[in-house]
Amino acid sequence: MTESRCQRRFFSIVAVATLLVSMVVSTPVAAQTETPRRGGVLLAVIGADPPSLDSHQESTFANIQLVAPLYSTLLQFDPFSYPKIIGDVATEWKIASDGLTYTFKIRQGIRFHDGSPLTAADVKATYDKIVFPPVGVASIRKNAYTEIRSIETPDPATLIFKLKFPSASLLANLASPWNVIYPKKYLDKDPNYFKTNVMGSGPFKFKSYTRGSTFEGERNPDYFVKDRPYLDGYKFFISPETSVRAAAIRSGRAYIEFRDLPNSEVEAIKKQLGNKVAVQETPMVGQFGIAINNTAKPFTDIRVRKALTLGFDRYTAGKVLYGITGLKIVGGLMRPGTDFALPDAELQKLPGFWKDADRSRAEAKRLLVEAGYPNGLKVTLKNRNVKLPYQDFAVFAIQEWRKIGVEVENRPLETAAWFSDGQNTGNFELIVAPTVEFADDPDQFLGRYATGSTQNWGRFSDPRVDDLFSRQARTLDPAERKKLCNEIEKLVLENAYYMPGLWWTRNVVHLTKVRNYVAPPSHYTNQKLQDVWLAED
Amino acid sequence: MRTYVAKRILLIIPTLLGVAALVFLIMRIIPGDVALLILGGDQAGRIDQAQLAAMQQRLGLDQPLLVQFGKWLWGVVRFDFGTSLWTGRPVIEELLIRLPLSLELALLATLVSVLLAIPLGMLAAVRQDTWVDYLVRVISIGGLAIPSFWVGILCILFLVIFFGWGPPLEFTPPWVDPWANFQQMVWPVVTVGYRYAAVTTRMTRSTVLEVMREDYIRTAWAKGLQERAIVIRHALKNAMLPVITLIGTEFAFLIGGLVVTETVFTLNGVGRFVVDAVAHRDYPVVQALVFLIAFSFVVVNLLIDLTYAWFDPRIRYR
Repeated sequence: MTESRCQRRFFSIVAVATLLVSMVVSTPVAAQTETPRRGGVLLAVIGADPPSLDSHQESTFANIQLVAPLYSTLLQFDPFSYPKIIGDVATEWKIASDGLTYTFKIRQGIRFHDGSPLTAADVKATYDKIVFPPVGVASIRKNAYTEIRSIETPDPATLIFKLKFPSASLLANLASPWNVIYPKKYLDKDPNYFKTNVMGSGPFKFKSYTRGSTFEGERNPDYFVKDRPYLDGYKFFISPETSVRAAAIRSGRAYIEFRDLPNSEVEAIKKQLGNKVAVQETPMVGQFGIAINNTAKPFTDIRVRKALTLGFDRYTAGKVLYGITGLKIVGGLMRPGTDFALPDAELQKLPGFWKDADRSRAEAKRLLVEAGYPNGLKVTLKNRNVKLPYQDFAVFAIQEWRKIGVEVENRPLETAAWFSDGQNTGNFELIVAPTVEFADDPDQFLGRYATGSTQNWGRFSDPRVDDLFSRQARTLDPAERKKLCNEIEKLVLENAYYMPGLWWTRNVVHLTKVRNYVAPPSHYTNQKLQDVWLAED
Repeated sequence: MRTYVAKRILLIIPTLLGVAALVFLIMRIIPGDVALLILGGDQAGRIDQAQLAAMQQRLGLDQPLLVQFGKWLWGVVRFDFGTSLWTGRPVIEELLIRLPLSLELALLATLVSVLLAIPLGMLAAVRQDTWVDYLVRVISIGGLAIPSFWVGILCILFLVIFFGWGPPLEFTPPWVDPWANFQQMVWPVVTVGYRYAAVTTRMTRSTVLEVMREDYIRTAWAKGLQERAIVIRHALKNAMLPVITLIGTEFAFLIGGLVVTETVFTLNGVGRFVVDAVAHRDYPVVQALVFLIAFSFVVVNLLIDLTYAWFDPRIRYR
């Protein structure tokens, strides 16, 4: 298929989609038969405090789960039908036939919680901060928006993104839950204002935050979606101890844990509460793997890198780790079973994914001998001092590597040092490096393997990967894009630049009185709580 | 006595200065740059150097160490510990949210411990090598050997499994709602008090045993005094010096050292605040808290020394 034919096909799909989308109102249609009850405060438990409140500058669930209900976004993933994209403050949008101009209509009448109106200027200021951050302001996601040339606002109800090249993933990226809309007037005064302050236009207004203790929001009576939210408010209790969070649900002190509880706790809760509790188990848009520092000896040698990945029996790991961590599914760099993932049959031909673990170990030992390590070697694995699932995953990996003669010291670091003395500086040999995103988008998941990417933990550079990545980002034909993405996976895995481990699943445990919440595959999305309601006990 | 007290109080000044310098330097030696963290957060990767420099300037981290130290010390003298780099609120305000909780927990745990430990320790000593002694020793060794977090989790699980009840997840001060406060604090107090009582019981038992072998006790027996009078009036008063030291230092430790118990019972106390601040390289908070914890140790030690002097005149005339 030629490129022009592909483009025509893509744009005909886009035209139909645009027509459909323009009819979509921002209130998602929930599949519910009961009449929602208004009132009540949703009590939730969460395992951490956020480093700051600014979602643009953070990437931890501890940030987004707390503040998402306070904000609006331009687009969003349908809370009841991931990965369908619907509007939030955008009522409709059009994509020009050349794919270089995206025009959004902004709903009028939306007000921030301080009473000021939300206009296209606020959305522009928000995206300017993310895509073109001023000096002194971090934007950890600007790499995802390299196609944007400029953002324009011809009038308060219109927002236009002008692109440098057609992009297959822009709409998904604009539905990012992280890109919450801030009022321009506050950003103009201090772009870091939202690290410690909150001012949004979401279904809930900020009530209080005591670090290490609680975070509370209360109903926004002026919310732009009619009759929402149903809840009077929500309150998170912050507790890093998994068993304490589980006990809080068992005793009814909290109604829900949005991230994950291990199976052992889930079973105990089910046993105690019976039909008063529901568990939504979903696959997760994230996997835990090991970043290998390709610039540090002995990992400059492909044979050593390959030996490590061959020496890790993923199929057994999935069985062992599932019960205690939720890590379960064997897969490559894209989530197994999704559109752009490498098919299983092809994956199993790559090193580390053979079903025969003995054959893999024998090959790993052979490679180590060939690389000059007949007596094995000793290395250090840096890790984050978070139990679930970092520590359990590392312990399993270390046991596996011992079987091929590689002695690994586990060095847990608290989060700050994990970044500053590990990822950011490259001061590591091996480091536990998860890849968790909000959607199954190749730009998000594969960008980290390109040269110079801020998330290229292993610091490798392969011009073939760079070229393939750049081409897939511009390719509008899904079949062609899939082919290019599969090529990237093969290159990264064959060269063992990075070592994927297991894909995560999540158990969202909640009392059955929590209604109308559908757990999506990402623990970042569907956190606005606008449609959630509480049944009476 | 007056000279002794004056000397002891004056000695606090160089001690606190040393502590201040040490705390300040340690925070700058440990890996992890707060400017980098604030700019990057999770997965930020490599930060632009100009951005980093701008952030360091904003936080005042670009100034020479001595200047930074001087400014901080001047603030401390005026009871101004600066502003938290992460919350943007004055450190003292943040601290005042958490201090009542830690103080209440420390005081109640101390009270429980003293009320349990001194009678039990005495009883074990007086009834040495009887079943009473063995029982007290088993209980106290258990308190030393079993980690507090495990006792805490067991408490919670026991209550949840058998009664479907768990302690409240949020601290309510006693003056707001005494019943809610009681429900929240009773189990942490039991958990901490048990370990604390175990240590104190052991100490009381051994010191009472030691004193009971002294000549003056033998004389008291020979004079025909009753056992109660000998133990309480003669033995206990003299056995109390090391026990008082222990109670004092344990109390000072409890103010900032209850991280594990606070975590298990979701108590937002000073201990968790310190750990959280270290994790985020929140220099002003860590400096203030470590300094204040050290200060409380110094004050407690002063009080112990003064109590010693009051108990034993030989000390004040040295």
